[in-house]
Amino acid sequence: MSASRIPAAVTSSIAPIGEPIIAARGLTKVFRRPVKPPGLKGALRHLVRPSWTDFTAVDAIDLTIQAGESVAYVGPNGAGKSTTVKLLTGILVPTSGEVRVCGIEPFRQRIANARNIGVVFGQRTQLWWDIPVQESLRLLGDIYELPADEYARTFAHLTEVLDLAPLLAIPARQLSLGQRMRCDLAASLLHSPPILYLDEPTIGLDVAVKARFREFIRTMHRENGLTVMLTSHDLGDIEELCDRMVMIDRGTVVYDGALDAVTTRFGWERSLHLTFTEDEPDATAIAGRVLAHRADVTFTQLDPSRLDVAFDSREVTSGELIRDLATHLPLADIRIEEPSAESIIRRLYEGQLQFDDPQVSGGAR
Amino acid sequence: MSASLVSVPTRVRRRNKYLGLVDSALQQAVAYRVLALTGIVGNMLWIVILFAIWRAAFADSGTIEGFTWPQMQTYILLAYGINAMVGFSSASKMMQAIRQGTIVIDMIRPLNYLGTQLATTLGLAIVEGVISFALTIGIGVIFLDMQAPASFWHSLLFLLSVGLGFLTKFLFVFCISLLVFWTTSSVGLNWTQTALVNVLAGVLIPIQFLPGWLATVAEWSPLRGIVSTPVSVYLGREDGIDLLLVLGLQAVWVIALWCFADWAWKRAFRAVEIQGG
Repeated sequence: MSASRIPAAVTSSIAPIGEPIIAARGLTKVFRRPVKPPGLKGALRHLVRPSWTDFTAVDAIDLTIQAGESVAYVGPNGAGKSTTVKLLTGILVPTSGEVRVCGIEPFRQRIANARNIGVVFGQRTQLWWDIPVQESLRLLGDIYELPADEYARTFAHLTEVLDLAPLLAIPARQLSLGQRMRCDLAASLLHSPPILYLDEPTIGLDVAVKARFREFIRTMHRENGLTVMLTSHDLGDIEELCDRMVMIDRGTVVYDGALDAVTTRFGWERSLHLTFTEDEPDATAIAGRVLAHRADVTFTQLDPSRLDVAFDSREVTSGELIRDLATHLPLADIRIEEPSAESIIRRLYEGQLQFDDPQVSGGAR
Repeated sequence: MSASLVSVPTRVRRRNKYLGLVDSALQQAVAYRVLALTGIVGNMLWIVILFAIWRAAFADSGTIEGFTWPQMQTYILLAYGINAMVGFSSASKMMQAIRQGTIVIDMIRPLNYLGTQLATTLGLAIVEGVISFALTIGIGVIFLDMQAPASFWHSLLFLLSVGLGFLTKFLFVFCISLLVFWTTSSVGLNWTQTALVNVLAGVLIPIQFLPGWLATVAEWSPLRGIVSTPVSVYLGREDGIDLLLVLGLQAVWVIALWCFADWAWKRAFRAVEIQGG
């Protein structure tokens, strides 16, 4: 374990070229959960004779991230995203498997690892609630033992790009969510970590604040080479910030590859958005009758004057559909929607699409 | 652009990270001064009640178990003043951190958890404890028959003993708070902690007044270091070798509790998943 004696700051900046900044092999975390039958009787029984069940939150995950990558780590709720991030931060100890972040095993050297990472939690602040933001940042400078000149430099830079000057004297509890997020970003980057974990960072933010947030992260990523790992349900975050997507479900990686590849893979998804000249409450029934011979067409009617038609472009062209529908429905306007990563990922979560093609599943990398 | 108006605070020098935490906790305690004051008022009520009870008890006899009435008044005041340094709110803070999962924030930083909690508790103690202590003594001197320390040396050793007592209570509460990992609730634990300290540390009544077997337990338990030992030193109830022995016992318990707390923390942290994750 010679690497363990190298100071964290050195290991992080001089990670061997080509060596991944995050490497996990067969990473597994099994939790033991109490089995409590319902009701008082059940609770008492558990008290006398506790029984437990194993729950594998993360199941033999292989993950390799190179320095400077930006990776979206996505999956439905309970898929194991947070557990993976906790394993990478050293908060949890793996049940089995290997994990290294900047060459360090996080759970063995949590404190050394902490200097290499910044974490932003959208749902909780890391600022001290009752003291002015400036004091929180100063305290973080102390905690990370930053030299005074380095602190002053980073502080000035972050204050400028995040426009923190008007917020510095305010205690965190009085900040709006958007303001708080800017301050939290400064707090997580004050020690210039090579890796930034973003956990649901834009949850609850308004559109304008979201856009500024993404812009800031993109700049840090492109210009400063920050490695970004993002867990988010906001598909806008994913599309705008990340080139690569790792999707997990029930603790295992179901997709790992370029975000574009997902769109290509499921690119046959199309939608027609029809608007009528007059209200047509029975549009769904009419369209269903007209297109009864087609299997892969589904209809959604949100209001009487509109109808959405989803179809498989391998089976039928939009031209054929429009020709058939135009004779039976009073069409005014037609918009054709190409598949977005957003719609595809949503359908993947919902289990409507399957990565059953081995060339895509885990094979893209 | 407001950025041009930024006056970058020039930090004179870097603080030790744990001293920085003490400083921040101090600022937070000041932010919650109303809460601190209500806690102090609550303690004052207890002092009044105990004062009334003991006055009745002392009405018939001049001394009880070697305590004179002025000594007893001094005892009541000091016991409450000292015990308030690590108060109910400090204990709930430690337990809440585990229960609500904010502990995660501390753990992603290069911080030792025991040290972090000690620094935070110390910051709170400086505000709450010092105010409460000063008030207690003020009231004691003005309205009650509070005695001066037995001697100059006794007052110095008293301060040392109060410091050790602070550490003892902090470590005891810290160990209890780790149980939140398993119970996931803090209310019962906090009441248990308070009850144990009230009885075994001598907050409610001097441990000498406890029934035989319980008095023996209290005499050797670490909890006597929280209140009983410092007050005994102040009153000059211990002298010579005995004085050194009780202080020695107090110090040994602090070291033992520290080692245990460190070990228990690591075990608890390894064994249990973080709540709310």
